[in-house]
Amino acid sequence: MSVRAEDATVVVDEVALGYDGTIIQRDLSFSVRRGEVFGILGGSGSGKSTLLRALIGLHPPLGGRILLEGEDISAVQGAARGRLLRRFGVMYQSGALFGSLTVLENVRLPLDEFTDLEPEEKDLVALAKLDQVGLCTAARKLPSQLSGGMQKRVAIARAMALDPGILFLDEPSAGLDPIISADIDALICRLSRRFCITSVIVTHELPSILAIIDRCVLLDIDARTIIAEGRPVDLRDHSTDPRVRRFFRRDGDESGRAVP
Amino acid sequence: MLPLPPAVEVREDAQGATVVALRGELDVGTVSRVRRELIAQLAERPVRSLEIDATGLERGDMSGMVILHQLRSGVFTRGVRGRVLGLRPELENLLVAFPSEETLRQVEAGPAPVSVPEEVGAATLSLARDARVQITFLGSVVQALATAARTPRRTRFAELVRVFDTAGANALPLVTLVSLLTGFVIAFESVEPLARFGAEIYIADTIGTAMTRELGPIMTAIVLAGRSGTAFAAELGTMKVNDELDALETMGLDPIRFLVIQRIAACTALTPLLTAYSMAAGIAGGAIVMRAVGFTPAAIRNELAASILASDVAFGIGKSLLFGALVAAVGCQRGLETGRGAIAVGRSATRAVVASIVLIILVDALFAVLAFVLGK
Repeated sequence: MSVRAEDATVVVDEVALGYDGTIIQRDLSFSVRRGEVFGILGGSGSGKSTLLRALIGLHPPLGGRILLEGEDISAVQGAARGRLLRRFGVMYQSGALFGSLTVLENVRLPLDEFTDLEPEEKDLVALAKLDQVGLCTAARKLPSQLSGGMQKRVAIARAMALDPGILFLDEPSAGLDPIISADIDALICRLSRRFCITSVIVTHELPSILAIIDRCVLLDIDARTIIAEGRPVDLRDHSTDPRVRRFFRRDGDESGRAVP
Repeated sequence: MLPLPPAVEVREDAQGATVVALRGELDVGTVSRVRRELIAQLAERPVRSLEIDATGLERGDMSGMVILHQLRSGVFTRGVRGRVLGLRPELENLLVAFPSEETLRQVEAGPAPVSVPEEVGAATLSLARDARVQITFLGSVVQALATAARTPRRTRFAELVRVFDTAGANALPLVTLVSLLTGFVIAFESVEPLARFGAEIYIADTIGTAMTRELGPIMTAIVLAGRSGTAFAAELGTMKVNDELDALETMGLDPIRFLVIQRIAACTALTPLLTAYSMAAGIAGGAIVMRAVGFTPAAIRNELAASILASDVAFGIGKSLLFGALVAAVGCQRGLETGRGAIAVGRSATRAVVASIVLIILVDALFAVLAFVLGK
């Protein structure tokens, strides 16, 4: 299913990724359309987190280019890079909340740094973001006083503080129980639909993949590239590739791996 | 097509209601300008009822919608609330995301101010708890050392060698620099006062006594506290944060036997060696100054040999044994009691170095008084 160039908000074009000259993924090409919930799937070690780091500009690709809102994340420098960075939000797997700041201060931090709003207006916007994730009443607490699921919700609120067009989420439901995990999935889905945010999610949690992801790519550790692209349900039900079927059916191979 | 720049127009309609019409783009980049214009145009105007015409708003974000939310709540019109008309659905989605006043009231207030008696009480309790923790820790260390002595095969000697290397051998350059310069500066500062009495030769006595009895042990212990005590606290603190200490306990392994006694044993053994080295480096620094002011190498050697007493060296080395054990024990204990998060690790490292230095000075003073009472 191709994406029209004018609809694409994230474009990955012939990208190769690696460390110290070792290529871990190559020939990566896909596009994410505006407002879509897009999944980067794969087993442990397949390079999906490295791809996410490349998408958000923390890990320069060895080859190819990554366009966010039409701008090459590896090429933009200076003030233009700062402007581009403010157009997307990132939720890290651990939440990465600042332990010395309250929940409200964590969400307010990007507003403090990048807006001219009055202090009470920043509080209002930060509280609105916290209200969206259902944590307004925890605003004065420290992150250490929150559960893992609550910390992830605060991290989502902080990632959305500057109304980004794109939200990158690294394993949003990892380490959470199925109920909290489903809550986070529903939250991501609701925020994406309501505010027309493009969400790019790195995950290998099958329930999340099937529940919220519109389209996905599946990375493979042995092939070192994308082995499937499409709607998760279609890949699960109709793919003839044994590696794809194994991923979606959670069958282990002889080596004990649960994924290709 | 690019959206129009923001524009604000305030007028009255046929029924006498104030109408605020907003056009163009209302976002993080334009919100300040729109706010200024609104305040200027509404300042002197009596407002009985308010309508906000948002038909011309083409684009916006949450920061921009703050203005609409405030207009709607009567912030700019002395409490007169307004109705928003003609807002695009995507902007309406942002506007309704602001929490209700009821929700805002539920936001917990910050921590209540604490009275002075409460603070004093809390600090006293904290001191008592701290003392109890340290006594318990000391008991656990002694117990673990006894267990290690009984079952040496189960003691991780590789860890001991590693600590000896990182806290001892790797500290040599810093100890050299600090001690050499300390001896150099003391000798340098002594030259002029001693020269007034024609007694420059006693620089050797000053340096010899100061470096062997006090400065060698103290400087070494402070370097050890700054380098290794903080490292122990940070290492064990990070392990605590990463649940590694819990993992040890659930495997039935005592963290003190597994991690602490090696550090204490290594530091207790290496500090006297570092201290002896520090004494030599400090004396060498003093000798450089003596040579610079004209003493011959033979005179320097003879005077130093006469002024450096074996009892002073033994006194300094003896103290350093205790300093080493103290620095390691305090560093490990602070690390083990680390709370959660990166800040807690930093706090543990700071508390380790502060407590170590205070204890070093206290113990040193105690040794000085004892030496005086016992006649050296």
